[in-house]
Amino acid sequence: MLRTTLAGLVAHRLRLLLTSLAITLGVGFIAGTFVLTDTIEQGFRQLFTADADKVAVAVTPKDENIPEEVLAKLKTLPGVAGAQGLVRGTAPLLDRSGRAAGSTATSGVSVVAGPLDRTNYVSGHAPAGPGEAVLDENTARTRQFQVGDTITVLDLAEKRRQFSLVGIIDVGVDQSLAFTGAVGFDTATALEMTGAKGYHEVDLAAAAGVSPETLKKAVSEALGQTYTIRTGEELAQRLAAESNLELDYLVLVLLLFGCVAMFVAALVIYNTFNILVAQRTREMALLRCIGATRGQVFRSILLESAIVGLISSALGLLVGLGLGALALNVMGRFDAPVPAGASLALTPRTIVLGLVVGLLVTVVAAVLPARGATRVAPIAALRSQVEEQTFRAGLVRSIVAGLLLAGGLGLTAVAIWVLDGDAGLLTAMGGGAVFFLGVIVIGPILMSPLSAFAGWVPRKVFGVPGRLAVDNSRRNPKRAATTTVALTIGVTLMTLISVITASTRETVVGSLDEQFPVDFMITAQYGREDGTPLLPSEVPATLRALPEAGLVAELRQIDHGGVTVGTLPDGAAFRPEVRSGSLAALGPGAVALSENQAKDLGVRVGDTVPLDTTEAGKVDLKVVAVIADGSFNQALPYTVTLPDFEKYYGTVGPARVYVKAKDPAAADAARRAVESALVAYPTAQLSSAAEVRGEFDEAFDMMFTIFAALLGLAILISLLGIANTLSLSVHERTRESALLRALGLTRPQLRGMLSIEALVLGLVGAMVGVVIGVAFGWAALQTIPNETVFVVPVGQVLLYLVLSALAGMLAAVLPARRAANASIVGSLASS
Amino acid sequence: MTMTTDVRAAVVARGLSKIYGQGDAAVHALRGIDVSFATGAFTAIMGPSGSGKSTLMHCLAGLDTVSSGHVHIGDADITTLSDKQLTLLRRERIGFVFQAFNLLPTLTALQNIRLPLEIAGRQADQVLMDRVVETVGLRDRLTHKPSQLSGGQQQRVAVARALISKPQVIFADEPTGNLDSRSGAEVLSFLRRSVRELGQTIVMVTHDPLAASYADRVVFLRDGLLVSEVTQPTPQSVHDMLLKLEA
Repeated sequence: MLRTTLAGLVAHRLRLLLTSLAITLGVGFIAGTFVLTDTIEQGFRQLFTADADKVAVAVTPKDENIPEEVLAKLKTLPGVAGAQGLVRGTAPLLDRSGRAAGSTATSGVSVVAGPLDRTNYVSGHAPAGPGEAVLDENTARTRQFQVGDTITVLDLAEKRRQFSLVGIIDVGVDQSLAFTGAVGFDTATALEMTGAKGYHEVDLAAAAGVSPETLKKAVSEALGQTYTIRTGEELAQRLAAESNLELDYLVLVLLLFGCVAMFVAALVIYNTFNILVAQRTREMALLRCIGATRGQVFRSILLESAIVGLISSALGLLVGLGLGALALNVMGRFDAPVPAGASLALTPRTIVLGLVVGLLVTVVAAVLPARGATRVAPIAALRSQVEEQTFRAGLVRSIVAGLLLAGGLGLTAVAIWVLDGDAGLLTAMGGGAVFFLGVIVIGPILMSPLSAFAGWVPRKVFGVPGRLAVDNSRRNPKRAATTTVALTIGVTLMTLISVITASTRETVVGSLDEQFPVDFMITAQYGREDGTPLLPSEVPATLRALPEAGLVAELRQIDHGGVTVGTLPDGAAFRPEVRSGSLAALGPGAVALSENQAKDLGVRVGDTVPLDTTEAGKVDLKVVAVIADGSFNQALPYTVTLPDFEKYYGTVGPARVYVKAKDPAAADAARRAVESALVAYPTAQLSSAAEVRGEFDEAFDMMFTIFAALLGLAILISLLGIANTLSLSVHERTRESALLRALGLTRPQLRGMLSIEALVLGLVGAMVGVVIGVAFGWAALQTIPNETVFVVPVGQVLLYLVLSALAGMLAAVLPARRAANASIVGSLASS
Repeated sequence: MTMTTDVRAAVVARGLSKIYGQGDAAVHALRGIDVSFATGAFTAIMGPSGSGKSTLMHCLAGLDTVSSGHVHIGDADITTLSDKQLTLLRRERIGFVFQAFNLLPTLTALQNIRLPLEIAGRQADQVLMDRVVETVGLRDRLTHKPSQLSGGQQQRVAVARALISKPQVIFADEPTGNLDSRSGAEVLSFLRRSVRELGQTIVMVTHDPLAASYADRVVFLRDGLLVSEVTQPTPQSVHDMLLKLEA
């Protein structure tokens, strides 16, 4: 039997090629995920290990920074060859226009020289003396600074200080430095610029003959429990573990998409083997006639699938290497913290996993078709014509489908109306998955009416070829359903993501309008202090003096005693929606609470709540209003009047200043005036509604593009499935096509007939996907506690329908060519 | 034998040869055949296996290309036509009845009969349709799918389909090859009646002397050459001729 199987494989190698491609792509995706993450992990580990070799022992503080005297003490400890304190604080870099770069202040760090130097230089050298500084590579590139330039950095007193840029450094895997950007000074300058009191880490080099463990012990005895003391190796392990946490998340998300791709591939394989078995009915029957047992037939098909699975999985590993390299390259371009120059990692785990998954999916998908093959009676060998498979909607199928569909809907209903938060979302998604299984089961029953519906127009427009095509698409509903459901998966998920993205975008834009009832908003740069960054108190007055400025409103805000307290900015635009009570009653000694805060405290309008203040001690406030929580812009938990705020917390700078242009038509002029007024305050961040919206749009577009790219693979596989099914149908209908050609159907008409059949299949798959996608997109949005607008991006959804139809036709190109070019005489003679 | 250059010939072949393969492997299926088929006549083509009778029919019908020579159907020389022109010619002027697999399984009997008209975008001649359906005797089966019809019924539907577009000639390739003798006789009488009553021209390839005896004239092929013919054939005269050729 082995020889027969192998001979069969060779004979059908072209037909199995498309199947193999489906598995290859699926395995490639999964393997690529691991190649990518393993490469990043190995790159990180190499970097950490390199660092660890330099440092014998690292001392890090548990809360307060390490003071100077501890460093001095460590330096004199026996066994210590050298000690360096590392400084980290904020040192806002000014960009070329003189404004603080970025919404978060640049980190100021010390760069040490000597054996404990862990800095990687891209170019230049370490800063020597108070007039030199280095920048991280990313900041230097985006702010367009080069070695030799002069850079300006704000010191603690917000005074501009000039430095000569002598080097560009790579911050490597430090996520926080990668986010803020870094300016490096020598240690003394770093302490001065950041105003840091002490060090956030002290690195020790061991004297000759002293092991890191011995030194660690000595340092522990000297310093006691106040600090965390690790050997260099332990430090590297911890850093690696931290970066792995983020990688794990990436792996999870990517694998989710990998599973979708594999599931689609499984459907394609199932279909192909089903058709292969149907086509080889006489071959199977002949084998049975000459004495093969059912088991032998079964095993020969499984063996065939195993060989196909193994070969395609091996190819998939190669594809995975390519995909991993591609992803690394793309991530590098988008400034993700990826270790540069790491060689691709194909670990044994990846190889084993890729092969096992590919093999298992292929063989499991082939089990049912193989069982079908064992039911072929030996007598079938003698029948001249293979019976057309007819499909009857069985009672069992209807019941199972009904249960799954009802179960899916039930779960989703529970998710929407009973649960909330993450549990709700997950349950809704689970409900969606169960519902989808129901759709797969009921697919063959739906196929006929749906293709009649989708084929209504082609049938009317394309004459005889159109009519025959639509009839053919309904001919084998089981096969057609499995083929289209693969496409449906991709379209469902694309629609789902489109609906969620469009709805969230609309919601955010809506709340932006709420948040931005003005032309500009000025906020302070994050990072200089804990909590809400505050602007200098004179900023509102400076802006009110501008003739171009209309309304200038300020929001005071403070985080104290674990709660956030703020004021109500002036102007009618800042009157939030009130759930109960009235803001008019907000006078001395009164407070308005946010809905959530009132719920948490269990108080109502008229009750009294205590508040811990800095200037007035503990005060009791009368609740006069409860403010609705906005969908995006959360109401502050406590809102008091401005005089009360100053009484409780003294005069602090505003957290936000809102500006409305006096003449709305001259917003540009107003902006220029505000910008020049803010020159004296380089860390003040000016933003407009349009800019913020642009940033959100960019973020949404980026997210959508990534998801679309990840789903693209599953859709590609499903198109392979359509091409596969069509080419096998073409093969089955060789004589039929020849008959039609003899009766006067031209070649273009025959090609057109197959294209229309593919179009109908694509359209049916997309229609079902779009409907399920929109429905479950709505369900998912309902589980989000905040008020969310439900938007169906009609244009996008229609585009999916059109693209699916076109993609179906694209998949039909090759099979249709083959059918049209076949010789009539030869095809009529073949049996 | 004499060349009949009758002006009323529906199909004329001149110097028709067909060579498969090249060089040493070349097979001469037809070696220069001159033959014509009269309008309104029922002609059978006979010959032992491998004599080239099916190839001749395929070449006459424009289903296969010729190596040299010409074939005229009416006033058209089909050997000079493009695939597209040939297809349109088949649509308009030729009807086919094959040995098996004549009908599209997705269509009903009636839809199968009307198929050539619909492909050509022509209206059915209702009088002819009634007459054909009546002659075929399948009025109560018209809504059945091919799988619900017997082999004989399927072939009768195929003949009806060939008749409905009033072609200049119908080519029938072993139309009774897959049928039992009673069904075969039914189909053959039906073919003969359509020649007598509807004036149809039919060219039929067969290896069965009994089937050939339904024709007005039988031409015999051997090794790619036209070797003999019999007019007003009987089963016995056809049989004798075949024996003589195979000897």
